[in-house]
Amino acid sequence: MLSLRVPKIKLERIVIISQWRAIRISVYSIASAFLIFSLVLFYEGADPLQAFQNMFSFAFDPKLGLSLTIHRAIFIMFCTMAFIVPLRAGLWNIGMEGQFYMGTIGAFFIAYTFPNYQPEILIPLMIIGGSIAGAAYGAVTGVLRGRFNVNEVVVALMLNNIAFWIVYLLVVGGPWAGIAESSSRPLPNSAHAPYIFNIPFTFFLAIAIAVLLFFFLRMTVTGYKIRVLGHSETVARISGINQVTLFAFAMTVGGAIAGMAGYHMWAADPAFLMIPRPDAYKAIGDLTYWGIIIGLVCLLNPIPTIPASLFISSIITGSTVLVRRMRLPFGLDFLFLGIISITFAAFQFFYNYRLRVMRR
Amino acid sequence: MIEAFQSLWPFTTRFLEVSTILLLAAMGELLTQRSGVINVGIEGLMLFGAATSFLTAQTFDAFAGFLAGTVVGAVFGLFHSILSVSLKVNQIVSGMGVWLFAMGFVTYWADRYTGPLRVSIPKIAGLTPAVFVALVILVALWFVLNRTHFGLKTRAVGENPAAAEVSGVNVVRIRYICTTVGAALCGFSGSVLLLSYLGAWSHLPTKGLGWLAFGLVMFSLWRPGILLAGSLAFGFVWQFAISPHTIFPGFPAPLPVNRMLPFLMTIVVLTIISTESFRKRWALMKPEALGQPYIKE
Repeated sequence: MLSLRVPKIKLERIVIISQWRAIRISVYSIASAFLIFSLVLFYEGADPLQAFQNMFSFAFDPKLGLSLTIHRAIFIMFCTMAFIVPLRAGLWNIGMEGQFYMGTIGAFFIAYTFPNYQPEILIPLMIIGGSIAGAAYGAVTGVLRGRFNVNEVVVALMLNNIAFWIVYLLVVGGPWAGIAESSSRPLPNSAHAPYIFNIPFTFFLAIAIAVLLFFFLRMTVTGYKIRVLGHSETVARISGINQVTLFAFAMTVGGAIAGMAGYHMWAADPAFLMIPRPDAYKAIGDLTYWGIIIGLVCLLNPIPTIPASLFISSIITGSTVLVRRMRLPFGLDFLFLGIISITFAAFQFFYNYRLRVMRR
Repeated sequence: MIEAFQSLWPFTTRFLEVSTILLLAAMGELLTQRSGVINVGIEGLMLFGAATSFLTAQTFDAFAGFLAGTVVGAVFGLFHSILSVSLKVNQIVSGMGVWLFAMGFVTYWADRYTGPLRVSIPKIAGLTPAVFVALVILVALWFVLNRTHFGLKTRAVGENPAAAEVSGVNVVRIRYICTTVGAALCGFSGSVLLLSYLGAWSHLPTKGLGWLAFGLVMFSLWRPGILLAGSLAFGFVWQFAISPHTIFPGFPAPLPVNRMLPFLMTIVVLTIISTESFRKRWALMKPEALGQPYIKE
């Protein structure tokens, strides 16, 4: 048993964490992030309450930010699920960014190659193309980790940078270059995605995948094996689970989901329908790292990722208001996201320990 | 011959600067990892070092810039060690947190001052003095790790903290010292990147260098000597990717393909050194307890 120097407070180690406690911890960590950020706003001379009100009223206003919020939320949901599956097997999938770029390439390749197909055929083909490209990219990491025991974090990061330059090669002055400088040419008309109830149809795809993953991880033999492998490699080896194929499989599934994010981001929104400038798609690529934070907050459970990513995406969308409408300095929205991630990292402590005040 | 050498000298100094940046950051990470703590936030520490040194150098002078960058690196190293050593947070989560925070904070803090540096950095024959500092630190690091009592304790803590604790080593203190000093080196590397290599602030200037340094530590098999060779090779490839024409006029591949090279090289090299036969041949010095929080029972 551990005890701090101060005699009255005692640390108790928690072995299994309940869902209720996890929810409480994430609420506390978000609350303290808001508190810290209010101090920054105060320092900048803005009224924090007014700022937060502005943020959320923009993010959830159907005329202004709501469609953007939902669009980003779907994107983050895909990234979170792409992170969850490999970590259930014990692999840190930091490569959502690269898999997302490759998914973009796969989807756009299909659309540019078969522009005359019917939308009913072309759009599913694009999604499949995106997920195959993402899956192949994820599989590289998984196979290297399973077969040669190469550190998956480093490989994934390197692949992210490579994928960034591949997109750059195709778009900036490459075969896909459009009329506008350094963005790709627009998608053919037949690839324009439909809206269902005024939201992108990928929303329902993402929810369906979340539900499927939930049952896959909980009910199937493969899901069980993945969870065993994630808990202990030794147990997995002794009980005859093939690590190599399972690592490769988990990363492939993760990559396939991140690849769909590539389709969703640029092709399912009528605002884009093309790949934008390198700094714009890099900025979206940086958003994939939210998958890590949300995945951990949700304790690697796919279902709660739906509200969590909606919330984070409302902050991402809403905080742009601070700069644009309230004329606060540039980068304040990035700072808010940074504060949320670091308070979350600090609050991880409460997943392992409980503070208890002792009576004398 | 001498003429050819002279025309190549500007390129050589540039690539040696990249190598220095990589070497400094990777040495910091090597020291951290040898004590059993993994710090994936190098990129973030470098961003902090770069931003702080840039803003300090604008107000004061270059030396103050280097100093401030190093100190800020150490502060965030201390933060990482509080989280990962004392609070036993998952070390990857904590490092990622520092990195994402750095991306946000630095954008907010330094992007409004985007522009060139107003002070000039003293150069020795076109080389930044940091090259020599890095070499001195490299020798010191090797000496400390392999020839001193402190180094023995550090390696013991990295291999088996429980056994080290039993034999009277203060695990927590060693890990704190190594993580903080290592992060200070990363911060210093960030300030070298900004003050002598780039000389101007632009949005998120590190561009993956920190992650390359992270890969370099694994490449080095956790030995300072191989780290030097690795950072020279990677620095060369990095600089060659940016300006291949200085060496090969009319180099065929376009810019994006070149920029992929260092990353591709890392993957290939890592795969080779991770194979079973290679590990047996060249005793891999990967710390056994890397990434595991030490929990006293």
